[in-house]
Amino acid sequence: MKKLAALVIPFVVLAACSDAFDTHPYDVDIHGQTGINARQTAIIESRFASKDTLRIAFISDTHGWYTDTKDEVDALNKRQDIDFVIHCGDLTDTGTTKEFEWSRNIIQNLRMPCVALIGNHDFLGTGNQTYGVMYGQMDFSFIASRIKFVCLNTNSTEYDYMAAVPNFDFMEQEVIADAARFDRTVVVMHAPPYSDQFNNNVCKAFRRYLDLFPGLVCCVYGHNHSDEVKDIYGDGLLFYGIDCAEHRNYRILTITPDGYEMEQAGY
Amino acid sequence: MRWNRLVISLLVPFCTSPARAEDSIHTAHQELPSRYEQFVEKRYRYWDALIPRQFVVQNAGNMGILSVGTGWNYAHNHLETHLLFGYIPAHQSTRGKLTMTVKENYIPWRVNIGQPQGADGSYLLRGWSIQPLTASLYVNTVYGHEFWKSQPRRYPNKYYEFMSTKFRLNIGLGQSVTWQIPHDWRRYAQNITLFYEVSSCDLYIRSKFIDHGVRLKDIIGLSVGMKLQTL
Repeated sequence: MKKLAALVIPFVVLAACSDAFDTHPYDVDIHGQTGINARQTAIIESRFASKDTLRIAFISDTHGWYTDTKDEVDALNKRQDIDFVIHCGDLTDTGTTKEFEWSRNIIQNLRMPCVALIGNHDFLGTGNQTYGVMYGQMDFSFIASRIKFVCLNTNSTEYDYMAAVPNFDFMEQEVIADAARFDRTVVVMHAPPYSDQFNNNVCKAFRRYLDLFPGLVCCVYGHNHSDEVKDIYGDGLLFYGIDCAEHRNYRILTITPDGYEMEQAGY
Repeated sequence: MRWNRLVISLLVPFCTSPARAEDSIHTAHQELPSRYEQFVEKRYRYWDALIPRQFVVQNAGNMGILSVGTGWNYAHNHLETHLLFGYIPAHQSTRGKLTMTVKENYIPWRVNIGQPQGADGSYLLRGWSIQPLTASLYVNTVYGHEFWKSQPRRYPNKYYEFMSTKFRLNIGLGQSVTWQIPHDWRRYAQNITLFYEVSSCDLYIRSKFIDHGVRLKDIIGLSVGMKLQTL
């Protein structure tokens, strides 16, 4: 037994102490920054507590297109007007730990704070666990300039529709939480209602819950890999689809005290 | 169950006694093996081929932090098949995982260095050979409910058609050095091989194809190991 241990221990030590050794694509052995969303939302909340005009860049579906994502980050960094960035999900293509690290290392080069939602591809293998460690809760919110940004996990298909996704309890909670600190709301999600990832049995219920939020400005989503503006429910509430990195464009949401403007920008 | 035991205990004396009688007849004319004996010998030979001939321990290589298993060498030692079981520690996930790997190694050349084992000189200086190139192809499977062989039925047709999260195809290139253990030192093995290997898996290679910006050094991993030739 001692001899066996003497044989085996050097290999374990070698594997444990060096980045050159790959344990497994889905090993959730994360090097570098973790708990990103909590830190970034704290920065956003303190920096933009009372700013008249808020300008947010929405990017999405960067998948494995790292060069395009780098260009996107460079393009955003060149602009002086953007307050913070929201990534609408699909940070990876196959959910491996390395892909999460690669995409994080690129997005980290943004000069401004950036939070990221989870996309359906980020669930593959142990991807959802990696997201949890690297970014945080799948449903989260933050307030900037009296506007609450509610970020929802809408990838129901990944749970075979057997989880509270979208989480109505969370939505209800967010309507009440810090109610004195905000009077408008922007809802962000990865998969839009009636898409192949949404739990389409609750599309209409979801719409009713959206109405609970005070001053709902608009909804933003990714997933479809196309730049689109849709009135999904035919009732005037606009859903803005953010394009994928490969198509090299993003959207800028400008919210003023009187209203908002959503424009597309290429790079 | 008890009935079975009773039947067996009654049958055993009946079965063994004729066998003893037969044995005594056989010793009388031993020169030519009977057809039956030839058959038995053949069966032994075939099943003998399945006895593991190597003991392998290897770290990393997308198979876990450490993999241990057995191996078979054949085709004039140019081919090897390894069956390995590995362990992935929990790291920051919910639990540790087990993996299984079937690995095929191709060793085109062997170069003897130094003196053969029979020659004079120190034991440690004799019987060395190097394998300048080893090429490996291996399939790894990871156990756990998080992983699926092909996409479950909840997804629309051909949703994640390009992949399985459970099975990984890996390729590797490496080198190794072998030392023939001197006869009077041998205890468990006749030779010992130390090897290293640089490998990558299908998902990483795919990511390099999708975006050339992915650096080669990010998708390849080092693995070192030891192989004992036990038979």
